[in-house]
Amino acid sequence: MPRNPTAAANESAVMRAETRRRWSLALPALTVITLCSILPLGVMVAYSFMEAGQYGNVQWGFSLEGWRAVFLDRDFFDDSYIPATAHLTILARSILLALATTALTFVFGIPTAWFIATRPPATRAYWMFLITVPFWTNLLVRTIAIQEVIRADGTLNRLLLATGLIDEPLQMMFTNGAVLVGMTYVYLPLMVLPVYAAIEKFDFRLAEAAYDLHASRLYCLRRVVLPLMWPGIVAGSILVFIPALGAYVTPRLMGGGRAMMWGNLIDLQFGQGRNWPLGAALSITLTLVVVGAMVWYARRAAKGAETNG
Amino acid sequence: MANKRFDVTHVPGAATIAIVTFLALYIPVLILVVNAFNGSDTAGWWEGLSLRWFAAALDNAAFRSAALNSVIVALAAALLSTCLATAAALAVTRGRQIKGQGSIAVILNQPLLVPEIVFAIALMVVLAQVKQVTGYQGLGYLIAAHTTFCIPFAFLPIRARLSGMDLTLETASMDLYAGRFYTFRRVTLPLLLPGILAGFMLAFVISLDNVVVSSLVKSPGQETLPTYLMGELRRNLTSEIYAISALLLFASISIVAASWVITRTKQ
Amino acid sequence: MLDIRSLSKKFGSGDSAFQALKSIDITIEEGEFFTLLGPSGCGKTTLLRLIAGFEQPSGGQLVLDGKDIATTPPNHRPVNTVFQSYALFPHMTVAQNVAFGLEARGTNPAEVAPRVDEILGIVQMAHLRDRKSSQMSGGQQQRVALARALAPRPRILLLDEPLSALDLKLRKQMQFELKRLQRELGLTFIFVTHDQDEALTMSDRIAVMDGGTLQQVADPRTLYDHPANRFVAEFIGEANFLSGTVAGGKLSLIGQAPVPLPRGADASGPVTVMIRPEQVVIGAAGGDAITADGRIEALVFSGTDTHVTLRLQNGDTLSLRAPNNSHATTTFAEGEPLRVSLPIGALRLLPEDVADAA
Repeated sequence: MPRNPTAAANESAVMRAETRRRWSLALPALTVITLCSILPLGVMVAYSFMEAGQYGNVQWGFSLEGWRAVFLDRDFFDDSYIPATAHLTILARSILLALATTALTFVFGIPTAWFIATRPPATRAYWMFLITVPFWTNLLVRTIAIQEVIRADGTLNRLLLATGLIDEPLQMMFTNGAVLVGMTYVYLPLMVLPVYAAIEKFDFRLAEAAYDLHASRLYCLRRVVLPLMWPGIVAGSILVFIPALGAYVTPRLMGGGRAMMWGNLIDLQFGQGRNWPLGAALSITLTLVVVGAMVWYARRAAKGAETNG
Repeated sequence: MANKRFDVTHVPGAATIAIVTFLALYIPVLILVVNAFNGSDTAGWWEGLSLRWFAAALDNAAFRSAALNSVIVALAAALLSTCLATAAALAVTRGRQIKGQGSIAVILNQPLLVPEIVFAIALMVVLAQVKQVTGYQGLGYLIAAHTTFCIPFAFLPIRARLSGMDLTLETASMDLYAGRFYTFRRVTLPLLLPGILAGFMLAFVISLDNVVVSSLVKSPGQETLPTYLMGELRRNLTSEIYAISALLLFASISIVAASWVITRTKQ
Repeated sequence: MLDIRSLSKKFGSGDSAFQALKSIDITIEEGEFFTLLGPSGCGKTTLLRLIAGFEQPSGGQLVLDGKDIATTPPNHRPVNTVFQSYALFPHMTVAQNVAFGLEARGTNPAEVAPRVDEILGIVQMAHLRDRKSSQMSGGQQQRVALARALAPRPRILLLDEPLSALDLKLRKQMQFELKRLQRELGLTFIFVTHDQDEALTMSDRIAVMDGGTLQQVADPRTLYDHPANRFVAEFIGEANFLSGTVAGGKLSLIGQAPVPLPRGADASGPVTVMIRPEQVVIGAAGGDAITADGRIEALVFSGTDTHVTLRLQNGDTLSLRAPNNSHATTTFAEGEPLRVSLPIGALRLLPEDVADAA
């Protein structure tokens, strides 16, 4: 299509006006997020490179001490560097607990999603309702509910004592196991929902085709069903892993001071007389891990969309 | 199996695990509700059905003020974030690609990318300075904080609704002599309303549920329901806590049920 | 080779029960192109799914090579299916799709690749072996689905309306190719379709089904020339149905003088007589024929011939074809008189059908 210069100039002016108009529509939301989320995060980055104040807070002056403290401690006697075992244990525990939570929600969540997705359409909605209610229920309330079951004088112990299976209450609270049970309980719906969506989209005629082509049940599951459910499973795992890694409320109630996680460690550093630059460095590290996981997922999803059309 | 259809949807064991999962999800919640209705002084001993702990909670001024704060913050944050998210969604979903459109979407989702505890602590650190400078100690901080993390949640359903909407409807409206604003009011907004409603509800629930951000951002003496609960938990597990938890649970169930009924009647 | 013995299938139970198949008996021969033809809901797809093993029969036997396979699960039956929706695995390439059945059965890996190449060559898809199924046209997907079902060397290939998603031209071409392939491989095909043209052009034998029962099983020519009943006559091709009476071995039709019964026919009292439109002769015919006069009610030009609807003097209407190879048809006009003849050899006496009498 031939164009004369004035028309082209006219069009680019129209486009500029459009761009300006639409940016101004988004501006209020962008301002709020910039001021209340991006700017504070920037402050955290800055704090991680400052010196620790005497009574908490920070002092002006560039320092890598905060970042050093994430990985290394000074030895109490000879001032040499030794690995910061206390922190690193907590970080390792957080990663392992988050992975274990993901695995457990996988074990329980995938059969559940399959079960719901294969109900007749009329009853499917009711099963979905049962999964969405916990999803929408306050996390704190759900943690209180599971805590009540497993605490020393909780329901489970009283039941076991009454039946004579045990003589004194099992101490299950404030252990890694308690945190794991609690997190699996609260994050389970996050696994079920995306996996359910994936199974619901699955064309069961493909399974029929696989059986027609002499596949056994297991072979069909491995070669046809699982690969096509995979995007949903990956999405569910990311949705569980990320909040589990940064969890604060559940480990605090279920783990207390003995089974602390990354989020609780960060919170601890910002108390009175603690090391703010270290807390800031721990925060940034956690953020980087989470963003890394998301970017990995987004890349994968984009690649999957490309190959599966 | 002899005279049954060869069922491709059947996987042995799935139903069993699913039923176990549903029981595991609901039994603790049921126990909590039962405890809330327990007339006994000490949690754990059943002494008949009673509403005394609900009465005790409602009688408690601290609970009442926390509940009021929660509702005010949730309503304000949901309203603000829905408005902001609607405008932003209109900016990034309609019409031609504009310069920087991708970065708008990334910024809008930024609060989701940051772990909640990090977001809360960073905001706490900054707001501590603001509080010192301005001396203001009111609910505004909580509303601002909640609005921020509610924006991406409100944005999600609104954008989904918008991108599923036929752009030619707006062109048709313009063709029928409607101006930009008239088109928005008579065509875009009514079609968008279910998305906006969903966004509002999502934001409201997310705000109502928040513990971490609220407990770090609130000013001394200020409580929302979850932070009040958290504080009480630090002391002891009382039947009053179960009663308050049960109230929050009923609130969630009614909200889900309401949205469920709305979406089902629409279909 | 495949003996279907009083096979029946009921879905559901109690009041909502639906009898999809009512005691079907068919014997399908080795190397035959056998078609199940009927309107939707006639039970043809249910029968195919029973043979494939996706459904279990409520009664009867399915004997393949002397063995009853009625309760054998689909993955242990030596039959493979080409699905209506193709059901190609979207996450696999063409070659992986074709290899699936071989690998699932545990074929020696060294034999899989040559077989995949061979079969892709047969359906002329070798050049697309590394494509994903989502990146192919309908016709290409059709060929891959065919190759995938053929690869494990089934005893019988089942085809569930495989051509219904293709446009007319491609469908014609695939009909031809399927037929050629079936001949070359000497394989038994069971083909389901609702398209009578497709059935007539491709099949060795056709089973016409309606309401879960077999109406007639015969080769295409017999089916067309000697339909067993009014349903078959109507479903396959076009037909005129005329009411007549037989008395003393003579047939009275369209108000004309009684004529001798067609050869082999035997009846008395009121009868339904069928004649195909193309068998109606324009003008007076020599030999044994009933000649009658009528007026042209409608004319539809359709390229090779003109479709004429004629109102006879006794009130009956008659459809006929006038070939457009002479100037005669250009002189036809609605309302004009026309004389036609019905050769006695082309008349078919049909049994009075209870359902059609209603």
